[in-house]
Amino acid sequence: MGGSPEAEAHGISLFNSLDGFAGLRRGLSRVAEQEQSWAGIPMPLEGHRLVIEPKFPRAKELSDLLISKEQRAREAATDKENEGYKVRNRFWSFHRNRWVMIYETPDGKIEWGLTKGTHPIARLIETLDCSFAWGIEQEARAVQTLGTLLRHHSFKAYMLTGMFMEKSKRSGLTYLFRRLRPTVVLDTSRDDIRVRCCLCLHPIGYYEDTWAGAMTPTDDVIAALMLMRGDEPMLWRTSNQHPSWVPEAGIF
Amino acid sequence: MGQIGILNVGAGDTKLIFDKDRPEDCARAAKTISDMIKRGYAILIEAGKDAKGEMLYQRATGFREGTCEYIIAGDPVDLNQEEQNEQPGSSASSGKTGTQDRKARGPRSTRGAPRIIHASAVSGIAVGRIAGG
Repeated sequence: MGGSPEAEAHGISLFNSLDGFAGLRRGLSRVAEQEQSWAGIPMPLEGHRLVIEPKFPRAKELSDLLISKEQRAREAATDKENEGYKVRNRFWSFHRNRWVMIYETPDGKIEWGLTKGTHPIARLIETLDCSFAWGIEQEARAVQTLGTLLRHHSFKAYMLTGMFMEKSKRSGLTYLFRRLRPTVVLDTSRDDIRVRCCLCLHPIGYYEDTWAGAMTPTDDVIAALMLMRGDEPMLWRTSNQHPSWVPEAGIF
Repeated sequence: MGQIGILNVGAGDTKLIFDKDRPEDCARAAKTISDMIKRGYAILIEAGKDAKGEMLYQRATGFREGTCEYIIAGDPVDLNQEEQNEQPGSSASSGKTGTQDRKARGPRSTRGAPRIIHASAVSGIAVGRIAGG
C-alpha cells in the first residue's frame, strides 16, 4: 500500500466500497477479535464447503454454513451408501487418469472401481470462484510481510511469476513455493532433478476441491515457507502429500 | 524491539510488538503468544544466523509469559555440509528401511538442550493450526 496514512486509508475504503464481501469480512474479523481467535474466522462461501482444522472452534458448523440442503442431502446419501465399505488400497491409473480404488464390501468381497474424474479446468474455475473470500487489503499486507522474509530476487520472482525457489538448510531439498498451488519439492542432489512430491497445506482451512485456502494466497505461501525454514518435519507432517502426476498437485 | 506477525484470515497480517520500553504492551503480547502456543499455533522465530549471514528460523516450543522469553529446542539447524542433510520422506525412494536407511542419511537432528531467546530481540511469524490441503 505505502504512501501517507491518509492515502492508505482512502485506498482501503475505496477497495472496500467496491467489494461486496468486505462488510462480512470485517464483521467476522470483529467476532474473531472478541473471541480471541488470533488467526481470524474463515469466510463461508455459497456452494463451497470449507474443510476446517477439526480443533478450530465451531469447525463443523462453519463447514456446513451456506451449503444447500440438496448438497447436504446428496452427501448424506453418499455416506449412507458407503457405510460398511472399507478402502483397502488405491493406485493411480495413467491410462484412465483416475484413481483405482480397491475396497472391501460389507459381505467381505474385494472389489475395485474408479474414482470420479474431474477435468483440471473445473478445479481452476472453482479456485477462481473462491477469490470472493479474500480482500485486496489482506493480500497486500501478506505481500508486504513476505517481502520482509525474502531476498530481492526471490521476491521479484514471486511478484512476476507467483513462485520462487528456496533450498532447505536442513534437508538440502529445494522447494518451489507457488501462489494458489501446492509447493513442489525437488531433489537436486543427483545429476538430474527429481520431483519428490507436492505439499499442500492451508492454515485453519481450505475450500474443498480447490487450491484456495481460507487465508489469502500469499499467507498460505508464507505459512509453507516459514514451516520449511523453522520446522521442516512439521511441514511434511501437516501437509497433504500429492504425487506430481495427480491433478491435485497442480503441475499438469 | 521484537515483533511477531500473525497470519490472519480477515484482518490481514496483524503484529505483536515486544518493546522493553512499553511493559504493558509487552505483557499483553506475551499473554497472546502463550495462548497461541497452547492452541497449537506454530511460532517460527529467528534463532541465529548461518555462516553466510542468512537468518535461521526455529519453532518456539514454549513461552515464558513472565519474562517474555521463547523456548526453542536445541541449536538452529546450520547444516551446510551436504552429508549431514536429512531429507524428509527419503526412505520411500531409497529402497532401504529403518535403521539401515537412517544410518545412511547421517544424524537425524541436531537437538540439544533448550535455548531461551528474549522476545524483544527477535522477529517471527505465527501460523495457525494446519488443515492440510
